[in-house]
Amino acid sequence: MRADLRSPSSIRERGDPSLATLIQQVINGLSLGSVYALIAVGYSLVYSILLFSNFAHGGFLVIGGYICYGTLRAFGTGIWMSGVLALAGAGLAAVLTERLAYRPIRERTNVTLYLLIASMGMSIVIENIFVIVAGGRFRALPPVIPTAPVNLMGLATTSAFDLLSLVSAVVFLGALQLFLSKTRWGLAIRAAAYDLRTAGLMGVNVNLLISIVFFVAGALAAVGGIFLSVRYTLYPQLGAITIKAFVAAVIGGLGSLPGAVVGSLILGLAEMLTAGFISSQMRDLVVFSLLVITLLVKPTGLFGKSVSEKV
Amino acid sequence: MSGYTEGIIILLCINAIAAMGVSLLTGFTGIFSLGHAAYMALGAYTTAILTVQHGIHWLPAILLGGVVAVAVAYFIGVPTLKLMGDYYAIASIGLGEAIRLILENWQSVTRGARGYPGIDPYTTLPVALAFFVVLAAFMFNLINSRFGRACKACRDDYIASSLLGFHTARIRVLSLMISAFYCGVSGALLGGFLSFIQPVMFDMLKSTELTAVVVFGGLGSMSGSILGTAVITLVTELFRPISQYRMLIYGAVLVVIMVLRPEGIMGNREFLSWVKAPFRRRA
Repeated sequence: MRADLRSPSSIRERGDPSLATLIQQVINGLSLGSVYALIAVGYSLVYSILLFSNFAHGGFLVIGGYICYGTLRAFGTGIWMSGVLALAGAGLAAVLTERLAYRPIRERTNVTLYLLIASMGMSIVIENIFVIVAGGRFRALPPVIPTAPVNLMGLATTSAFDLLSLVSAVVFLGALQLFLSKTRWGLAIRAAAYDLRTAGLMGVNVNLLISIVFFVAGALAAVGGIFLSVRYTLYPQLGAITIKAFVAAVIGGLGSLPGAVVGSLILGLAEMLTAGFISSQMRDLVVFSLLVITLLVKPTGLFGKSVSEKV
Repeated sequence: MSGYTEGIIILLCINAIAAMGVSLLTGFTGIFSLGHAAYMALGAYTTAILTVQHGIHWLPAILLGGVVAVAVAYFIGVPTLKLMGDYYAIASIGLGEAIRLILENWQSVTRGARGYPGIDPYTTLPVALAFFVVLAAFMFNLINSRFGRACKACRDDYIASSLLGFHTARIRVLSLMISAFYCGVSGALLGGFLSFIQPVMFDMLKSTELTAVVVFGGLGSMSGSILGTAVITLVTELFRPISQYRMLIYGAVLVVIMVLRPEGIMGNREFLSWVKAPFRRRA
């Protein structure tokens, strides 16, 4: 059970096999965690502004994956072009979802439960559009992202894909951080996360701001979707994996972006170490027990602000 | 009555029992759960194992199925119901999936992912109807009792009701336990209706459906939940020929309801209040 999870080259490793496995699983875990982080950050960003769990977030990921797959197959564009198209497409789909489904509710009531249910409906709609249009088959992306094994200073062997996804996640998260801390719209988003109503009163165009937030969230989800469809395969239900990103966001503290990143890395590491040293069937159980333990010990998560109710 | 009609009525009763349970929790206590299919699974598996392997009569087995769901709900509810809002919703997804995964991997007891065949078809039309009538009568009395009013108080203002002396934490856990019993019994009846159960039948989609039906019928209306179940179950049957589009339509309906009429069909009213309204004196 354990051997099939390692790449064959690591079994031939000369040095201490368990140390090599450990290093390799840590890299795998960080790589998986960084993909979760891309998804969890977008989800957390939406939560911090509108205070509801956007369950359609997994749909944006699937849209990104299919646009990348479709353009690679149909037009033979390079991975850069397809990647940009996927990001833009998923971002626009997210904005459209917000316009069609969330804005009418948002303008009428402030009951976030209605938004939550509408987002569940949207996630079912998006998933089934792909079931009908693209079919339920599992699809593999053309080999555009290198997956060759890479030797790390003789310590362990890992795949180029793992390093690549780790690096691109760092790049995208760094870009997001720059956007939020250095630009005017970033300032407006931070203000809105603090208090959306007051930000609106201060002259921020709230509807445009929410559209920007959804675009960013959708584009980040598309990056995650492309990497997930290389790691696993692409199928309409791939969006269900966002549950783990939600769990990561809760572990880190809902609405906190550093929390979402840290929570994702913890989750990715826990999952890969369980798969490597215990059994791969246990990994989902470990994820959910981490969730329950967090909620019991510190319900607001690692970085969550504890909101005391005003009486 | 043809077998097909009979099957639909049995299915209606089973779905309505589960919907009443979720309605008490979501509509009346204001706790949003996305993991209630797990309680159905617990009831279904307990009853299946008791009747098939231990030869116990189906009636006590169904009730025991409900009791097991209640026991699990107690141990889950006491720690997790401290959480409010989206935190509990996400925790309930996690717990629901965890229970399903345990059922799937505990091969020696549950026979794993391939499912549990050979359950006696004990859910006949009279049995399903009897369970529905008894449980519905109990539920309609419950929501107008002291406990039901306490639930609504917790839903409408958690802090005010605890200041008024309601033990809000206990009310929330008790509400979860009662809803788990209804879902457990519903799952047990479903096992007896299909003669076969499988962990994948009780996945997150089923949990979503349970909550969606309650929202569709109207939060805070028990008769609305039953009406919502009837509409969704019948529409699902009507769309069976174009089953490819069934889930698409279902998702779109959820969105459209939230956009156009978020209070659902009945919205905080009971069916009888409409019948009585014309005869009531104006204040």
